[in-house]
Amino acid sequence: MNKSFLSLILAVAGWAVFHNGLFPIFTPEVAGWLQNRYVYYLLFCFYLIFVNVGMRLKPPMALRALYVWLLGYYFYDSILTPHIPWTLFITYMMLWTIGTFLYISQDPTTFREFRAPIVKTIVGEYKLARIVVFTLLPLLVGFATWNTLYPSFAEPVELRTVHPAPPSTTKVHGKTYKLEEIGNPFRTDEQDNYKDSFPFIDKTEYMKNVTEGGTVFFENCHYCHGDQLNGLGMFSHAFNPTPANFIDPGTIAMLQESFLFWRVSKGGPGLPNESTPWSSAMPPWEEHLTTDEIWKVILFEYWYTGWHPRTFDTEGSTAE
Amino acid sequence: MNIKTTTGKTLKILLALLFSVSIAGVAYAEDRQADPIQQDKLEAGKKVYFKRCVWCHGVEGGGDGPSHDRLFTKPRNFIQGTFKIRWTNSGELPRDQDLINTVTHGLTGSAMPAWGDFLKDDEIEAVVQFVKSLVQDRKFDDEDETIEDVVSELGSNPWKAEGPYYHGIPQEAIDEGKKIMVANKCFECHGGEGAGDGNPTMKDDWGFPIVAASWKECWNFRGARRNHFDPFNVARTISTGLNGTPMPNFRDKISIEDRWKLAAFVNSLCPRKKIDRLTNKPIPDFLISAKHTDGEISSKISDPMWQAPDHDPKIIDRTEEQENNPRKNYIALAGQITRGNRNFDPKSDNLWVSSRWNEKQGLFYLVEYDNRFLSKDPEYPEGVAIQWPAKLQDLFGAEKPYFIFGDSKKPVDIWKANMMPGDDYKDTNAPKEDGYQLTTTVQELTGNGFDAVVEKEGGQVKVVDSIFHQGRVKVMFQRALTTEGEMDVQIPSEQFIPVAFMQWAGWDKEKDEHQAISTWYYTILEPPVDTRHMLTMSFIMGGVFVGLQGWLVWMTKRTRKMYADGKVIQDERPF
Repeated sequence: MNKSFLSLILAVAGWAVFHNGLFPIFTPEVAGWLQNRYVYYLLFCFYLIFVNVGMRLKPPMALRALYVWLLGYYFYDSILTPHIPWTLFITYMMLWTIGTFLYISQDPTTFREFRAPIVKTIVGEYKLARIVVFTLLPLLVGFATWNTLYPSFAEPVELRTVHPAPPSTTKVHGKTYKLEEIGNPFRTDEQDNYKDSFPFIDKTEYMKNVTEGGTVFFENCHYCHGDQLNGLGMFSHAFNPTPANFIDPGTIAMLQESFLFWRVSKGGPGLPNESTPWSSAMPPWEEHLTTDEIWKVILFEYWYTGWHPRTFDTEGSTAE
Repeated sequence: MNIKTTTGKTLKILLALLFSVSIAGVAYAEDRQADPIQQDKLEAGKKVYFKRCVWCHGVEGGGDGPSHDRLFTKPRNFIQGTFKIRWTNSGELPRDQDLINTVTHGLTGSAMPAWGDFLKDDEIEAVVQFVKSLVQDRKFDDEDETIEDVVSELGSNPWKAEGPYYHGIPQEAIDEGKKIMVANKCFECHGGEGAGDGNPTMKDDWGFPIVAASWKECWNFRGARRNHFDPFNVARTISTGLNGTPMPNFRDKISIEDRWKLAAFVNSLCPRKKIDRLTNKPIPDFLISAKHTDGEISSKISDPMWQAPDHDPKIIDRTEEQENNPRKNYIALAGQITRGNRNFDPKSDNLWVSSRWNEKQGLFYLVEYDNRFLSKDPEYPEGVAIQWPAKLQDLFGAEKPYFIFGDSKKPVDIWKANMMPGDDYKDTNAPKEDGYQLTTTVQELTGNGFDAVVEKEGGQVKVVDSIFHQGRVKVMFQRALTTEGEMDVQIPSEQFIPVAFMQWAGWDKEKDEHQAISTWYYTILEPPVDTRHMLTMSFIMGGVFVGLQGWLVWMTKRTRKMYADGKVIQDERPF
């Protein structure tokens, strides 16, 4: 009994020292080959084994099972990074609990050994333990009931499709466009030739169009999409969903220019239902901008971000 | 005892005097030449400038890029060499480091974003040198251009308060700070409670209208440096003033110690909310819980049951008497720039909303927002509105009407309050402790799109109280949960109901679609908390568990007895 108490003390104290002293040392900003959290965890496991085996403490089965179970908990909760979602955590811990139980019940002797302190508590051989456990558990159940019954509300989660399937045609300013067939009329040259050119100063046709597109952008769009085109404009904090971030590789970098033309022209109200048109603050810009201005803004957005629009594979389709 | 403290005080004063004299000496010694332009970086700087900055600051740095006439805080005109946020004395040029900090952290509350996560450090250094080369009226290389670091002497805050929320500044320091505020007449521009509602007539050096900062929105301080609750930002601005604006420096009038106390006071007025690291604004509270109220709901805004601080209760604990009041929810506003007369510079960027309900009196909504001045023009009243889906029962799933004035298929029900101050109000008045009662009329509108907003007859919505207090408009709406009207929203309890807000600053000639808007939020009428039922259930569950324990003991003892009697043989050996 004394020995198992010593084992418990050493385990708890050892964990405190390891967790508060060594853990920060083993988790530098850039993890090394030896200096990482998994090595730290192995060291802690070795420590626990060494203390119990080396000092011949022979803790009872129940305590050993507790050690095993807690080691698993510690691993999934604090060591494994990034932290797994709680649903997964519960699944893993259930598997771990089953594993621990297998360890306990490997043969009838160990199982009985594990059961012994529990049975002794129940029948009252450990008097104090029985009083404590038998009063605490009903209280805990009472509190749990209270907590479950207490009403609490979180905002509902709403899912939406960020890039919905575009329609095959769109009608802008009285003209019908087939999205599959149109491209940017101002994309007259290879974009990369102009990546270091100066808008306003450089008088080439291409840069003139970029300048005009930028002017339209900074008169109308930057309030939401931001001066950096990253969706963090002055008004962006008010909107949910947040304005699109064009710097992100998941937006204009993976879309065709005709898709942008449709989105800019029709705005939020032009979205299908799965993209929650009612909460999109994107105005239908065809009401404010000419067709040319819309194409120039798109040209500007690619020039500023350095992305290249996706294109339809025309060669493949003609080869058929 | 008495004598002891007075001598202690004199000693302290003497020491402080000595200290300030020595500091002044040091500061004079540090008077130095302005940072000259580093010519070798200009070319790289120009590249960055013309790709990223020219759109607002213009080709020659005149602050006249394409966006400038739609921005309320105008882009900086570099030509005069006037920069607001510095560590140097009033009127002096900034240090390179000041400009680098401004580019890195942006100027919160304006269109200037933080470039620190976007540009590389050497790009920022280069563009700062290029910006310096755009200054025409002064020369950074000029021998007469000396600068004096007047901020280093502040050190860090004397209470060792730490970010992000800078808790733990003693209340005495804050109270003394308030006295210093009054003594130095800060309220003449910033208003009695710091809402920036002191002076409507100010102009900056370029003749553009300008308003004093609202201390209640420290995330909009230009010099917040993305560390919004740090009193250092305030202490710095008090020490340097803001060049180009009416804000002077108070170095000679206020000692360093007192500047910190004043900063602590100013800082204490800013609600502690979780700030979004990306937008540098508080994260909106997307769920507005209407609290069920057992007794009578007071229709007086001043009633204790409606009092709650703006702070997030998770960050700052509320007092015991306010603990069960509904919290203030932060609603973000933006300008309406979709249709018609677009509003690029809304005067409020947030509302605070709290709500209570019961079956008898219906739903109460207290809407508050900071609004520096009030309009007295009946054509342009101050306005605020709550927008609901008119036919909640017809909406499927997450479906909602269009968030501004609804759409042709899905109408919205709008409760709009138009507010007018009495004759006693003038926007140049000194701060008035008890505020001004407002004359408020209610309009109920049905919206089927921008062009199809019609006023309803025989509305049921009442504004039961409205007041303008130290720069904050407070309006309380009330309506029964259900009504006869076909286009009235019928409000169910325990269900998420979409709700949106609109606001018109009459003093800035906002009306109709020239307005500030929010996106859809949710409100829920919390069911009454039946504590008696909950308590009984808890006891029953606990009792059942006790019974279970008894059964377990009985079973275990019985099994043991069976072993002992030899009725059952225990498995003795391992397999």
